[in-house]
Amino acid sequence: MADLSLELCGVRLKNPVIAASGTFGFGREFDELYDISALGGISVKGLSLKPRTGNPPSRIAETPSGMLNSVGLQNPGVESFIEHDLPWLLQKDVAVIANITGTCVEEYVKMAEVLAPTGVHLLEMNISCPNVHEGGVAFGVKPESVYAITKAVKAAARQPLIVKLTPNVADITENALAAQEAGADAISMINTLTGIAVDVQKRRMILANNTGGLSGPAVRPVALRMVWQSAKKVSIPIIGMGGIETGEDAAAFMLCGAKAVMVGTANFTDPFACPRVIRELNDYCDAQGVGNAQELVGTLKEN
Amino acid sequence: MMRDMDARVLSCGPMAEGLVRLILHAPEIAQAAQPGQFIQMLVPDSAHVLRRPISLMAFDREAGTLTLAIQPKGRGTQLICGLKAGDSVRVLGPLGTGFDAHGAQSIYFVGGGVGIAPICCAMDGFAGEGSRAFFGFRSAAHAYGMTQSPCPVTAVSDDGTLGERALVTKPLLEAIAQRRPDCIMACGPLPMLLAVQKIAAGQDIPCQLSLEERMGCGIGACLGCNVKVTQEGGWVYRRVCKDGPVFDSKEVVLNG
Repeated sequence: MADLSLELCGVRLKNPVIAASGTFGFGREFDELYDISALGGISVKGLSLKPRTGNPPSRIAETPSGMLNSVGLQNPGVESFIEHDLPWLLQKDVAVIANITGTCVEEYVKMAEVLAPTGVHLLEMNISCPNVHEGGVAFGVKPESVYAITKAVKAAARQPLIVKLTPNVADITENALAAQEAGADAISMINTLTGIAVDVQKRRMILANNTGGLSGPAVRPVALRMVWQSAKKVSIPIIGMGGIETGEDAAAFMLCGAKAVMVGTANFTDPFACPRVIRELNDYCDAQGVGNAQELVGTLKEN
Repeated sequence: MMRDMDARVLSCGPMAEGLVRLILHAPEIAQAAQPGQFIQMLVPDSAHVLRRPISLMAFDREAGTLTLAIQPKGRGTQLICGLKAGDSVRVLGPLGTGFDAHGAQSIYFVGGGVGIAPICCAMDGFAGEGSRAFFGFRSAAHAYGMTQSPCPVTAVSDDGTLGERALVTKPLLEAIAQRRPDCIMACGPLPMLLAVQKIAAGQDIPCQLSLEERMGCGIGACLGCNVKVTQEGGWVYRRVCKDGPVFDSKEVVLNG
């Protein structure tokens, strides 16, 4: 039985497996299947200052070994989350990560302020959503804007700040460095890769939003490469994600330098994916003779 | 209530032109199932990350079985239709909010194509005195679901090889003119649902429509499947997988 626990930005996690934002709601639906206290953490559905209706249907398309989504940050707004969902989540023995989004720097700052007095353990700033026209990824592409928004939100945040990076850039390590220099406590990567799906019979885009974000095993090699490159450049913790399906996939991200991991699309393939990944990571550590899973972090042998 | 389990395939074979009948042994799901609900089925190939939402055509609580009608349309459903008796397949269910007769006896059931499957399940559950069913098929070769019906079925087809060459709304309207039902339950292609919605609104008959949409999680968490529902003069998005797939015809916005 390996020790899977860790400290992430001063927050104790019982294991490094976190449910990825947007795939897990606020945890209630999955809690009908298993006790979500088993998880290291939950990054909740992306929150905005005001409720958002999201994009029209269809929002989802399966692609080879992956999927596209263009949900468009539908959420009831941060106030509703704090009132109706957070108290329930905080009863669970699990780190709660508030994933925040906005349409301008001031909105992100306001989000951090609104969440400051709550029991949320960590903030994850989404500056990488490809599915909304205003905001989101607009702040996440240029290192200067990553720096500026991180600096502003960090100044207002009471909880440790994780900056979620987009892979839709020439060099993700520049943005990882910019986030670190601006005071980010951690980075999470990667958000989805922008893509499209075509219905050739109807000669039409499948997604109503035309473009969507690609996730699932198809993106895993890209995500691993980006985590590996970024881990060489930054000293703050990296939370790795991108197509993790198994405990060995999680271990691969940790070997590349991720201190913790997020599981997203796999929750759809297997609603028990998160607890299974935790179990399999433990089995992997036992088989490898690793007593503490954190010993894996950044120990990948290169050729 | 909902269970994720390995279901044993009891049989899998053609039911009609372009349609496969799959019978699964899944006692826990059959036990909890309600008409209009669905299951999320894992494609037996790891390259497919999304499960396929499939409506229940029938369930037998005593035998512990589920009957499904599947159209092998894409690669995923083709692989599912290739299952053999004795195989095992991962299914999550029962899911969603199904039909509710609210005590209605005389129900007119309306189905088109693969949408007839959940209507068969609704007929088994709710057909009472004065109930009738109206099925629309492309042709006689596409027909299914008409034996052992708990109420009289009128079938029509696009090519006239089965019943009248007409849209299913024609016999529905004729029947309504003879006797107004307490309620309508419908599932089928979008143009059919729009027509039924219009008829129900025009005649002021309570009506429930079962919708189809691409789904992610199937349990209400990911907000991947959505439909507009009117509310207080405006509209909101509801989840097809959790709040539906059956919606009140008065509220659901089908072409929004």
